[in-house]
Amino acid sequence: MTTTNAPLPTYQAKDYKSELKPIWCPGCGDFGVVQAIYRALAAIGRPPHEIAFVSGIGCSSRIPGYTTAYGFNSVHGRALPIAQGIKVASPELLVLVAGGDGDGFSIGGGHVAHAVRRNTDITYIVMDNQIYGLTKGQLSPTSPKGLHTVTSEYGSLEEAVNPLLYVLAYGANFVAQGTPADMAGLAEVIEAAIRFPGFSFVNVQSPCVTFGEDDQQVKNHRATMQSLAKLGHDPTDRLAAMGLAQKYGKELHTGVFYKNPDPPPTMNALIKERQQVLSEKAPPRSRIFDRFLQT
Amino acid sequence: MGMAGSGGDGIVSAGESLISAAAYEGYHAMMTKSFGSQVRGGESSCRVRLSTARVQNPGGTLDVAIALNWEDFLKFGAELPVSGDTVVIYDSKTGVEPGQIPLVGVTPKEVFAVPIGEMARRAAGTDKAKNSVVLGLIAGWFGIAPGSIVRGLNKKFAKKGPELLAANERAFHLGEEFAKEHPLATPRAMAPPTSSGSKMLTDGNDMCAAAAILAGCEFFGGYPITPSTEIMQFFTREVWKYGGAVVQAEDEIASIGAALGASFAGKKAMTATSGPGMALKTEILGLATIAELPLVIVNVQRGGPSTGLPTKPEQSDLFQAAFSASGDVLRPILAPTSVADTVDVTVEAFNIAEHYQTPVILLSDQEIAQRKETVDPIDTSRFTFIERKRPTAVDLQSYARFRMTEDGISPISHPGMKGGNYQGAGIEHNEQGNPTASGKVHAAMNAKRFRKLAPLQRRRDLFRIDGDPDAPFALVSWGSIAGVCREAYLRATAEGLAVKLLVPWLVYPVAEEIYREFFGSVRAGLVVEASHQGQLYRILRMYVDVPRGVTSFARDGANPIQPGDVVARLRAAALALQSPPSAQQIACEE
Repeated sequence: MTTTNAPLPTYQAKDYKSELKPIWCPGCGDFGVVQAIYRALAAIGRPPHEIAFVSGIGCSSRIPGYTTAYGFNSVHGRALPIAQGIKVASPELLVLVAGGDGDGFSIGGGHVAHAVRRNTDITYIVMDNQIYGLTKGQLSPTSPKGLHTVTSEYGSLEEAVNPLLYVLAYGANFVAQGTPADMAGLAEVIEAAIRFPGFSFVNVQSPCVTFGEDDQQVKNHRATMQSLAKLGHDPTDRLAAMGLAQKYGKELHTGVFYKNPDPPPTMNALIKERQQVLSEKAPPRSRIFDRFLQT
Repeated sequence: MGMAGSGGDGIVSAGESLISAAAYEGYHAMMTKSFGSQVRGGESSCRVRLSTARVQNPGGTLDVAIALNWEDFLKFGAELPVSGDTVVIYDSKTGVEPGQIPLVGVTPKEVFAVPIGEMARRAAGTDKAKNSVVLGLIAGWFGIAPGSIVRGLNKKFAKKGPELLAANERAFHLGEEFAKEHPLATPRAMAPPTSSGSKMLTDGNDMCAAAAILAGCEFFGGYPITPSTEIMQFFTREVWKYGGAVVQAEDEIASIGAALGASFAGKKAMTATSGPGMALKTEILGLATIAELPLVIVNVQRGGPSTGLPTKPEQSDLFQAAFSASGDVLRPILAPTSVADTVDVTVEAFNIAEHYQTPVILLSDQEIAQRKETVDPIDTSRFTFIERKRPTAVDLQSYARFRMTEDGISPISHPGMKGGNYQGAGIEHNEQGNPTASGKVHAAMNAKRFRKLAPLQRRRDLFRIDGDPDAPFALVSWGSIAGVCREAYLRATAEGLAVKLLVPWLVYPVAEEIYREFFGSVRAGLVVEASHQGQLYRILRMYVDVPRGVTSFARDGANPIQPGDVVARLRAAALALQSPPSAQQIACEE
C-alpha cells in the first residue's frame, strides 16, 4: 500500500466563473469587478461550494450567477440581512455580498450601519455607478447634486450619499475602494477585504457605460485615480481615512482607507463562545418544557 | 374570577400567584391579562378560571369580581362582565356603598366592601401588600389552595428578604380571616382537584418558542413587537444552549431576511411578529415562496389595522396571511387553539415548512400567546421531526435545484454541500436555478409550487372534528375562539341540540374535501371568529359551498365572545329551521 501526499486542491480564477453569459452592457464596469472577484477567490483558494454569494436587485446584483459559488440573488436592498443570517447559521462559509449603490445606500441603506456594528465576518462589495441602470437611468443615492436624469429633468436637488464616509462613521473596521480601471488593485483590495476578520466594505467605482457620465468611465478613471498607498496614507488612521473619504465624488482614491490593526472579535466568535459556555449545562432538547412545571 | 386595579396595585401579580398555586395543586387553570397600552400605570386586570376539568377558554360572566377601584374596573367593560350570580369584592376606600356600586343593570349576588388597602397597611405598613390581602380573601372565601399560595409567596419573596415575606404572609392571613369572619351567604368552595400532580403553567409565546427549539430550530431573527416579543426573549435565553443563535435585527424586514438566509444555509429558522410587522415582511415571504425555502413565520395577531389595539386579541390578519403577496402564492397557514396545542402546531409548522420547502405562517393571537394556562406534562417522544429532502450522491452528479418532480418537491442542497451549488433567486428560474423570462417555464414552476402543497388539503389530522357526523347543526371556529366554541358545543350537546364542531389547525389552503364532507349534513350553523369581517367565513365561501343556513358570527377583537352567546345563536338558528319556511324562502330554494 502506498500513500500519496496529495497536494491541496488549488483553484484558478476560471474555477469560479460560471457558464452563464452576463446580461451587462458591453463595456460595463461590472465585468471588471467579477474578474477581480474570480482572482481574489483564487488567491484565497476556498472551493466554490464553500462560498455563499448574496446580492439584491440591480444590474450588479446579477453577479453571483456569474460565479460557481452558491448564489442568492434576493430582493432589492435586503442582501445584507440575508447574508448575515447565512453567516450566523453557518460560520464556516465564506460569505460575500454584492449590489449596487441603490441597493446598498437607498432602499437597503438602513441595513448597512447594523451590518457594521453586528460585525459578522462578511465582505460587502458595492458597485457604485451613481445611476439606476437596470431601470434605465434614474437618479441614485450617489448621483451628484444637479445631475440631469430621466427623473431629474431639471437637475437633482439632493446631495449625494458618501458611501465611504458613512461606512467609516458607522465604525467599520475595513473600508476600501477600487475601480476596474486598476484590475490588479481591485482584486487586491477584494482579497484583503475577504481575509479581514469581520465586516469589510469595498466600494467599487464601476462605471455605467449606457447611462453614466463621461468622467465616470474607465478611461477617465485611469487618468484620475490616485493610489492611497502612493499618497502615503496610513490605513490604520481612521481620522485620516475620513478626511480622504470626504473627497468622494471629487477625487478617485483607490486602495485601503481604513483597516483596524487590532480587529475586535467577530459576532461569530462571540456566538461560538456563548454557545460553548451555555451548552455545557443545558438539558436535552426533549426536556425543554420542564421549565414550565410548577415545582 | 376577574380583578382590576391600577398599574401599581399588583393585581396581575395576585392572579399569577393564584394560578401558580392552583397549577401546583393540580387544578386546570387559565389566566388572561388585559392592560391599557401604557407601559406603567394605567389600568390593569386579569381573569383567572380554575376548574377540576380541562379549561377551554377564559370563561364568560364572572363568579368573582374584585375591584381595587371602580374607575379602572369599568374600563374593561365586557372583558369583566358581572351577572346576578357574581360575588363582588371591592376596596371600601373607594367610598362607594355596597348598594351603590357603579354596575348598571345588574344586581350581583353578594357584595363585599373590604378595607383592602387599610388591611395591607396594617399588616405590611404599605399599600403594596394589597395583592396578598386579595389572595387571602380568595383563599378564605373560596377555599382555593391556601397552603400552595403561602408556599408561592415564600418562593416569590425568598430573594427579597424575610421581613417582606413575613409582612405579606400577615397580609394574606388578614384577608383569610376577614373572609372567615364575613362568610358568603351561599358558600362556594372549590372542589379539590381530581388529578393530583402539578401541571405545567405557561403561555402560548413561551410554548411556541420552546416547541420551535424542540423541532430543531437553530436560528431566530426578530424585532420587538407586541404581543409576540416573548418568543424572541425565550430564544435569546435558550437557543444558544442548543448550538443556535438569535439576531435581534434592525427591523422586521431584516429579521425575516436573516431567518431566510439561515434557511438557505440549511438550518431550521423562524421569525415572529404581529400584523404590522407581517406587512413589512411580505416581500421576503414572496422570496421564500419562489426560492422554495423552508421558513416558519409566527404572527401573533392583535387588534388592527395599523397600531390598532396592540394589547388585545383579534383574528383579523387571516386575509393578510393568505393573500398579501405579489404574484400567485400559496402558503400554508396554521393556527393553534390553546397554549397546549401550540406545541403540536409549532412542530407541525416546521414539519410542513421543511417537507414542502415553503414558508408557513403560524397564526397565533394575543390571547393564546399571553394567557397562562395549565398544561399536562408533555411526552416529547410522541413527535416526529421532518427534515428537508437532501440531494443524494446521484442527484449531485447533475444537480438541478428546482428539478421537476412528480410531487413538486426537489431535493435541496445548501452552501457547503459539494456539487449542490446553485443560484437561489427571487427571479423566475429554470430547473437549474438560472434566471428566465420564459412564460412556459414560469407556468411550469408556478404549477410545481402549487402542486407540492396539494397533499396538505387531505391532512385530516390537522382538523379536530367532534359530534355526530349526521348532525344538522354545525360550529366552525379557529384560533383562541375555538376554545369558546368547544365549550358552546358541549353545552349545546348537553341541551340536546344535534351539533358538530370543526376546528382547523390548517386554516389555509382551505381543505375543500374535508369541509364539503363536514357541511354535507348541515342545515344551519355558525362560523365563529373575532374579527369585524368574519374572515374565515369569507375565505370558506371562496372555496366551498357553505350551506345557506351557516352564517358568520364575528365580533371585533377585545369584545369577547362567550360560550353562552354562541349557544344562544345556535339555538335561534335551530328554531328558525323548525318554523315553516316563508313563501319567499321556498321560492329562493327552488
